[in-house]
Amino acid sequence: MKKLVSLILMAAMMLSLVACGSKAPENTVHSVDDLPGKTIGVQLGTTGDIYASDYEAEGSTIERYNKGADAVQALKQGKIDCVIIDEQPAKAFCEKNSDLTILEEEFALEEYAICISKDNTELKEKINAALSELKAEGTLDAIIANYIGDDTKGKTPYVSPEGIDRSNGILVMATNAAFEPYEFYQDQKVVGIDAEMAQAVCDKLGMELKIEDMEFDSIINAVTSGKADVGVAGMTVTEDRLKSVDFSDPYTTATQVIIVRKDAE
Amino acid sequence: MTDFKAKFILNFIEDNRWRYITEGLGTTFIVTIFAILLGTALGFLVAVIRSTADKNDKNPVVIHILDGICKVYLTVIRGTPAMIQLLIMYYIVFTSPDISKRFVAILTFGINSGAYVAEIVRSGIMSIDNGQFEAGRSLGFNYVQTMMYIIAPQAFKNILPALANEFITLLKETSICGYIALTDITHGANVIRSQTYEPMMPLLAAAFIYLAVVSLLSAGVSKLERRLRTDAR
Repeated sequence: MKKLVSLILMAAMMLSLVACGSKAPENTVHSVDDLPGKTIGVQLGTTGDIYASDYEAEGSTIERYNKGADAVQALKQGKIDCVIIDEQPAKAFCEKNSDLTILEEEFALEEYAICISKDNTELKEKINAALSELKAEGTLDAIIANYIGDDTKGKTPYVSPEGIDRSNGILVMATNAAFEPYEFYQDQKVVGIDAEMAQAVCDKLGMELKIEDMEFDSIINAVTSGKADVGVAGMTVTEDRLKSVDFSDPYTTATQVIIVRKDAE
Repeated sequence: MTDFKAKFILNFIEDNRWRYITEGLGTTFIVTIFAILLGTALGFLVAVIRSTADKNDKNPVVIHILDGICKVYLTVIRGTPAMIQLLIMYYIVFTSPDISKRFVAILTFGINSGAYVAEIVRSGIMSIDNGQFEAGRSLGFNYVQTMMYIIAPQAFKNILPALANEFITLLKETSICGYIALTDITHGANVIRSQTYEPMMPLLAAAFIYLAVVSLLSAGVSKLERRLRTDAR
């Protein structure tokens, strides 16, 4: 009896706390020009973070979340004014959250590439060769089309050719699997464009692929310290990153976009 | 050596990156201090209720109910990781837009620490021989007076090392603040790390600062312990 009463009290207390939340305020970001002075959410260490940091001088506050999804959650609740993130994950987020929308204005165009340790030029050359083969065969386009584009989605999944000799060892790929459609979890496995592309590259190189999921800002550290051979995580080539690691040839282009709350109708 | 200097400049001087560390230090301090205050207050309250319920055979119904609530509190808080509690507080309990992150962190860590402090304080109260309590009552003190003047001073001395331990743990536990994008020392170091791709300097700096703060804290506690010991035989 005593326990029951206290449990009910506890539940009532929790519920009353939850009820404290109020509605998110109205959207105040309608274009890139609105960014100064706003609170911008980004994922720590992403290019969105780098671009947003330029607005710090103009009075914006940058909130760096460990995960893009956390930033989106904060945006939904009105804790921040907008989120700067890559276009494809932004689409995935907005699909799942009907109260969010992407500004039409593109924020920045960039190229994704595989990052490799500077000491490992041999691997870099091999990967570049494999990538250009995949591009020439059209395999790369098929992999991307399998994840992006409403008409082609799910139609051309990559399947490893049979009878591959994987005697050339293991390729450890560091990624941050919270970045749909490039890498995300499905049935407890990391899938996505980057995962399939890495698999295709491994098939060319005759290597076994091993995917390590970690925080995005740890990926380059993992590659430089040799804990991972390559970093494949929708990574843009930037000058700062080139100081620490090498990049392969770019395998796709992407844009940075701004997610905001939908205006009230 | 020049390499070291270049790395130092890259990680701390360039773009005023040291500010992430100092800002983080401020946040860590504020969150820890207020969480300790909140946790201690909460802990003492819960401990008094729990030990009152345990010591007396016949309790009024109010004590029974309060004791029940305290037990649930202890079970829930000690049974879940602080990181989950922080995320729940920030994303589920306080969904309101203009909530201060520091406030959320203070509340989470305060409530979290309170549960551990409560058990530490209760162990202190229970460690005092019942004869002390009976002596107090036979001298004409009432229950509250006995607790305040006879039990509490002795209990406090016993629990001081355990309390200091808890506060040190709490200080280090605030390193999960980064999950709600609150810049504490760890998150500050992570921000630098994400900009320079250079793990060694920021992480070592963060580790060194934690170590320094904890050393200060332990030095303070051992001084207090020594002072409390002077009146003992």
